[in-house]
Amino acid sequence: MQKKRGDFTLSALSIDLSTRDAVRSTIDPEAGKTFLGGRGIGTWLLSSRPMVDALSEDAPLILSTGPLTGSRIPASSRMMISAFSPLTGTIGSCSVGGSLAIQMKRAGFDLIIITGRSRLRLILEIDNARVRFVDEDMPVDLPLSSVFDAYRSFRGSVAAVGPAAFSDCTYASIMVDGSFACGRGGLGSVMASKNLRAIAIRGSEHTVMACDPDGEETARADIIRLFDASPAIMGRSGISLCGTAALVDLMAARRMMPTANFRRTYFEDYRAFSAGRIREEQGPRQHACHGCPIACKKKAHSEIPEYETLSHFGALNENADLAAIIEANRLCNEAGMDTVTAAASIACLAEIRGLRYTGTTLVDKVREIAGARGDGELLRLGSAVLARELGAPEKSMSVKSLELPAYDPRGVYGMALAYGTSTRGACHLRAYPIAHEILRKPVATDRFSFSGKARIIKIAEDLNAVIDSIGGCKFAFLGATLEEYAKGLAAVTGLAYDTHDLLRLGDHIYTLERYINTLRGFRRTDDLLPERFFTEPGTHGPGIEVRPIDKTAFEATLDRYYKIRGCNEDGTVTAERLRELNPCRNR
Amino acid sequence: MQEQVEKYLSKLIRHGLVQGPDDAALYGLDDELYTNRHTVAPEVRALFDLLNINSLIIARPEPLHWSIMGDLIRDDPSLICPCDCESLTFIHDIPVLRTFDVEAAARALSGRKGLIIADTGIITTGTVSLEQAFISLSSICFATFVKYFADVLNGLYGFAATPKPGTARLDAARRILAPAAPAAFYNPLSRETPGTEAEIIQAMDAAGKAIVSAHLVDSFFGNISCRKGDLIYISQTGSSLDELPGCIDCIPIDGSSTCDLTSSSELLAHLKTYEITDDSAILHGHPRFSVIMSMFGEPLGFTETRHIEDIPVVAGEVGAGRHGLMHTLPAAMAGHHAAVVYGHGTFASCSGSFHGAFERLSSIEHQCFDAYRSALEKAGVS
Repeated sequence: MQKKRGDFTLSALSIDLSTRDAVRSTIDPEAGKTFLGGRGIGTWLLSSRPMVDALSEDAPLILSTGPLTGSRIPASSRMMISAFSPLTGTIGSCSVGGSLAIQMKRAGFDLIIITGRSRLRLILEIDNARVRFVDEDMPVDLPLSSVFDAYRSFRGSVAAVGPAAFSDCTYASIMVDGSFACGRGGLGSVMASKNLRAIAIRGSEHTVMACDPDGEETARADIIRLFDASPAIMGRSGISLCGTAALVDLMAARRMMPTANFRRTYFEDYRAFSAGRIREEQGPRQHACHGCPIACKKKAHSEIPEYETLSHFGALNENADLAAIIEANRLCNEAGMDTVTAAASIACLAEIRGLRYTGTTLVDKVREIAGARGDGELLRLGSAVLARELGAPEKSMSVKSLELPAYDPRGVYGMALAYGTSTRGACHLRAYPIAHEILRKPVATDRFSFSGKARIIKIAEDLNAVIDSIGGCKFAFLGATLEEYAKGLAAVTGLAYDTHDLLRLGDHIYTLERYINTLRGFRRTDDLLPERFFTEPGTHGPGIEVRPIDKTAFEATLDRYYKIRGCNEDGTVTAERLRELNPCRNR
Repeated sequence: MQEQVEKYLSKLIRHGLVQGPDDAALYGLDDELYTNRHTVAPEVRALFDLLNINSLIIARPEPLHWSIMGDLIRDDPSLICPCDCESLTFIHDIPVLRTFDVEAAARALSGRKGLIIADTGIITTGTVSLEQAFISLSSICFATFVKYFADVLNGLYGFAATPKPGTARLDAARRILAPAAPAAFYNPLSRETPGTEAEIIQAMDAAGKAIVSAHLVDSFFGNISCRKGDLIYISQTGSSLDELPGCIDCIPIDGSSTCDLTSSSELLAHLKTYEITDDSAILHGHPRFSVIMSMFGEPLGFTETRHIEDIPVVAGEVGAGRHGLMHTLPAAMAGHHAAVVYGHGTFASCSGSFHGAFERLSSIEHQCFDAYRSALEKAGVS
């Protein structure tokens, strides 16, 4: 099936699990043109029910593809899953790889909106246009690999939640195709609250045909050339060859590897889980999302953890046992829970108790979370609640209750601001300043300076909202730019959006997210970092001094950011501001 | 941000891209607009309103570049398509406007990193820092210079389906060839082999500054490395060769550290060259006539080699792809300690200090300029 030039009608499948109804509909083309797909369309749909409780029957769970999904434009088949986060209370959209998006597109759907709550636990099977509600009686504590094994012959893509989601873990993930995690913010708990164990999708009846195949080919070739020219992507230590584990050595060298629950920024034994050690001991092979030439995912006999997981089960917990890190990661994937929050919660508990959980003890703690027993009863609530309940709220290294990933903000000031302003809590991917502050793409910026960072972060947030809305991958932008992707989007859809049209849409999407969070009660104080980062230095290194962040400078930069973003002084966004940005109004 | 404005204004002048401070207006936007101008024109405000950017440069290039651009846009093209490899990779093509209309300029800048306006100069933008706008401006000057002279020669000889230049173009080319000649040869680099890490960094710094000062490289292109035992010191990706201290990676040759994630995109070409030669220093620049002469003839196939006199010319794209220059360059370097990559630039190597590599890089450029002039004369243009 080929869409007409500029036709932005999105095909939606609305599923009510309470009544077991599946209704096919189309989304208003104006909304399609304004929100594109993926995260944008998810945010727009959530904005119609901004106050709903994350785990209520009415709360929507939205799976949405991007307009480039299924095209020949590289690295553009990410799936976006959107819902309200039970961990943070904020909007909670999360990008995930695998082949879920392409199967959905081939089945003829741009998005699936799931509401309601099934009386019995079930699996949703979508085989092209046919939708089946399949009751299931697998044990609740069945590891996720068994769920995926059960669907091996299905020949489609499967998204599933595991035991953690059914035992009230607030950071339960949704695993896709057994390897890819929709990890942050606990969207797995939302899926489980609907009694939905898994969604299996198989599509073969629809293909994406570009409106301008020559333009599509030009954009594809330009993008591939830029991937090849990027050391961070295709270089000797690029993520294509080494996976994100390539970052381990670099973060240690830059003295910004969070260690001992962020009390230090350098872990002497980091080589224990470096990409070199993984290559020697595990001999990993490449594994890719559908149609991606980067293939950043690495697999050996087990999944090779991503950098954030290696660093947090490693340095953050002062653990130099690679086997324990890989096992902790495997257990998280089997139980279906976010590795970053799990590792950070254990590190937080360790600091409060004055202990270290390493090696088998660390693995035991992960087992306790997965089984909701022992310390797992506390740890499954996330570090913010855990630390509060133990009378030490300052020990939770989180923003809006989402734990910081493995880039210490004292070593990257743009990241410090972005952790604060991120609409889903401390997330490195909403603005991804690591690109310019560390990886020198598109150009290098001074990582120890706030100069110019307010607008840089605002523009980067807009850019990443676009990337997440077209089905793109953040890593692609370590080589290519929106310039090439805008050409690709125009060629595929026939919509003549250029770079700045898209950034305007990104601005609108991001501001809408901030507006929803405003309605849900979030204010300036929620954008601040834990006090530790303003009072304690990191670990110095040769020629590197990691000082506490100057709080006055941070707050002044936050003020500038609010001004640029069009927020009030308290960080809130008004409905009027949102109307000003609405591209439909401006068009 | 005012510091950035001052820094890049100074670089524009130092690199010979503009004649003086009055020829360039630089703007950096955070919550306020920072500039080298006393007042901000309404057109500039309008561009910032229309574009989601934080930096902007409007500059009238120095007379030689400006006359080249003037000649290229005389026939009213809406686009200039560069022919050199780096410009094709990073800036793709350059939109052209006749007059400075804000709406039209914003539309053009929404699709590309910079544009040429016939009655104004060059406008470039950035979303991260003024460095992006500076790089794009410098790249446009380089791309148009190379295209201009390459098209004249290939057109005269009927290569690469290039149209034959008209009389006016030939007259102009003849007139501006002398001022476009490379700087007089001068090698300021020490012959002493650097020993300690501090000496290596100092030598790389000096070599980088010498290459830029001799106009053997533009903007942030080019790279430098030095081998010391099992280590290689190499400039970081996107670093300016005249600002190398703090932007040099020291990495083990055996790949046991991944800190080279930030190293030059040509790291693998450097490593392979060291692997098959006894050399210990490599310089890579983009000397203009070397690039132009490498493209004299039909396009070079990936596995083909040709020569400019005795200097090998090989094909290969930037980086580590299937057609990356890492597959073709090192073997050519092994025999000659220097090679030109088709439409890209020159690599030169030596053992000991950077003195010999700089000597080769510079003399090849002079050789290529002489070859260009001879080729013009041979075609009856003198």
